[in-house]
Amino acid sequence: MYIPRQTAAQSRRSFLRENPSVLWFMGLLGLFTLGVTILSEAFGIGVISTNLVKILGMTLCLCLIAIAMDVVWGYCGILSLGHFAFFGLGGYAIGMWLMYARTEIVIRDSLGRGTIPPTETEVSEAVAAQIFGVVGSSELPLIWSFAGSLPFQLVMVVLVPGLLALVFGWLAFRSRVTGVYLSILTQAMTLALSLYLFQNDTGLRGNNGLSGLQNIPGFLDVPQSIISVWFFWASAFALGAGYLLFAWLVSGKFGSVIRAIRDNEARVRFLGYNVEGYKLFVFTVTAIISGIAGALYYPQAGIINPAEIAPIASIYLAVWVAIGGRGRLYGAVIGAALVSLLSSWLTGGGAPNIDLGLFRIVWTDWWLVLLGLGFVLVTLFFPKGIGGLFDYLVRKS
Amino acid sequence: MSTLLEVSGVSVTFDGFRAINNLSIAIGEPELRAVIGPNGAGKTTFMDIVTGKTKPDEGKVLWGEKSTDLLKLSESDIAKIGIGRKFQKPTVFEEQSVRDNLAMALKNKRGPLSVLIWKAGAQERARIEELAEEIGLTERLDHRAGDLSHGQKQWLEIGMLLAQDPRLLLVDEPAAGMTPAEREHTTDLLKRAAKTRAVMVIEHDMEFIRRLECRVTVLHEGSVLAEGSLYHVTKNQQVIDVYLGR
Repeated sequence: MYIPRQTAAQSRRSFLRENPSVLWFMGLLGLFTLGVTILSEAFGIGVISTNLVKILGMTLCLCLIAIAMDVVWGYCGILSLGHFAFFGLGGYAIGMWLMYARTEIVIRDSLGRGTIPPTETEVSEAVAAQIFGVVGSSELPLIWSFAGSLPFQLVMVVLVPGLLALVFGWLAFRSRVTGVYLSILTQAMTLALSLYLFQNDTGLRGNNGLSGLQNIPGFLDVPQSIISVWFFWASAFALGAGYLLFAWLVSGKFGSVIRAIRDNEARVRFLGYNVEGYKLFVFTVTAIISGIAGALYYPQAGIINPAEIAPIASIYLAVWVAIGGRGRLYGAVIGAALVSLLSSWLTGGGAPNIDLGLFRIVWTDWWLVLLGLGFVLVTLFFPKGIGGLFDYLVRKS
Repeated sequence: MSTLLEVSGVSVTFDGFRAINNLSIAIGEPELRAVIGPNGAGKTTFMDIVTGKTKPDEGKVLWGEKSTDLLKLSESDIAKIGIGRKFQKPTVFEEQSVRDNLAMALKNKRGPLSVLIWKAGAQERARIEELAEEIGLTERLDHRAGDLSHGQKQWLEIGMLLAQDPRLLLVDEPAAGMTPAEREHTTDLLKRAAKTRAVMVIEHDMEFIRRLECRVTVLHEGSVLAEGSLYHVTKNQQVIDVYLGR
């Protein structure tokens, strides 16, 4: 049965009235944010620890990259297994500023105790030695030239993932690489990036990564309990804004065209649409949003290193979206939130191990088996994912 | 009537098999033309070449007053220049409503940004209604295209073709799987379309072609065997041997 849906072709009613699920989502997200704030240590009754606030804030960032993944895969049919590379790049871009600016404050503080104020060169050299001592260097790499400028690094959060996606996508789509071949190519991209970053001489501290990112320059005196809530709010806001953007993107004729590309791209070409241009647009926009999600995630995580960009991370992302339900944004949010929270609960020692006499289920080991099994079961029996359950509810009422 | 599309001396080989062999064919505007031929005569490959899906090894494909070289254009540019194609198997976007299918085909700007901010104005909605009326799908406008019957899907695809407002329609077996009543409707649609534009119909069914009352081109082994009125080509001994006689 087809449930008639209002579309751009049909009606000029307001966007929100056409898409009630967006309103529902915004309401629930608002309530959740309010609830966590009230229960937090900093602004409320302190039931939720600072650590949990951080985990929840990070989960919201993962939900943001999950809806980006849903747009690129669920709606446009490009199974990108490399979107975590963009997430990581966003994290690195903001991490550079966080690390540089904080180190600079500390250095100025200690050098400033002498009688003669330090010169700019002295400060810069001391910062470089402090940051890069760990990889045996004391020179500031070229890419750190403007690391002290927050606006510059914020632009990089958008620009670096965006440009990488644009160039990679242009090369791949122009050659009409599709399907599983494209997926492999995106895996190769994220693997190459991760291996590159593992090297010590790339200027991003090799496998040490960037650390201490939870300390925000300018707010070093503010306790983490408060900062964690700030970042939680920022993450909730970003998820809400991203959700609105994507819901709008996929609602009208644009959504119609990209779903058509997913279902039969050759046919779309014969309608006169430049399929490659659309794919590139979607790939790049979702990469930028992924970068922004990463830039919010890593200050909450406190550390970023090349392992975060490993190919497996992007595969997990696809699993979240598949479990949650492709082709519906709230499905991606459900999948990402559920699976990532479950994962941190089971692998973080939160869940009690089960003794079966002969056999002991240790969740840290068995979590992946459980996830794999869940993925297979969902694929076989609920191709629409958890989000598909909402169809039943809507149909029954 | 001036020449709209001119294909001359085109050949294409797939793994040693010559699918099209020094084929030359031209169509004017407006004109209705039927293309017939046995399986493997190269009818679909011919359409693939014109629409940019297949690049020939040699030959020329020229379009319009300015003699634009179609071989240099991409599929989407060829569609934008005014060539619409209906596939043998109806290929509509099944997951989307009939209305959305038609809206996508409507002659509007095709760039991502202009599509992003597109909203159906009164004129466009009226055009969609009008097209739906013409293809007999007014009642089904807000239904999933995948729920249509086979014949309705064929019509929807023809409707999408008309929505594109092309100068040349390439129609591959439009009557396949249709009931006699549906066939009649389809013939009317095509004849009406051909009053203002060039329409090229590939068809197996002789009865259907008879009703089109148009010039016929017979293809055989990748080149033109005969051309003329249906009466004329059915009297041609070569045509009888390779096609009709069987």
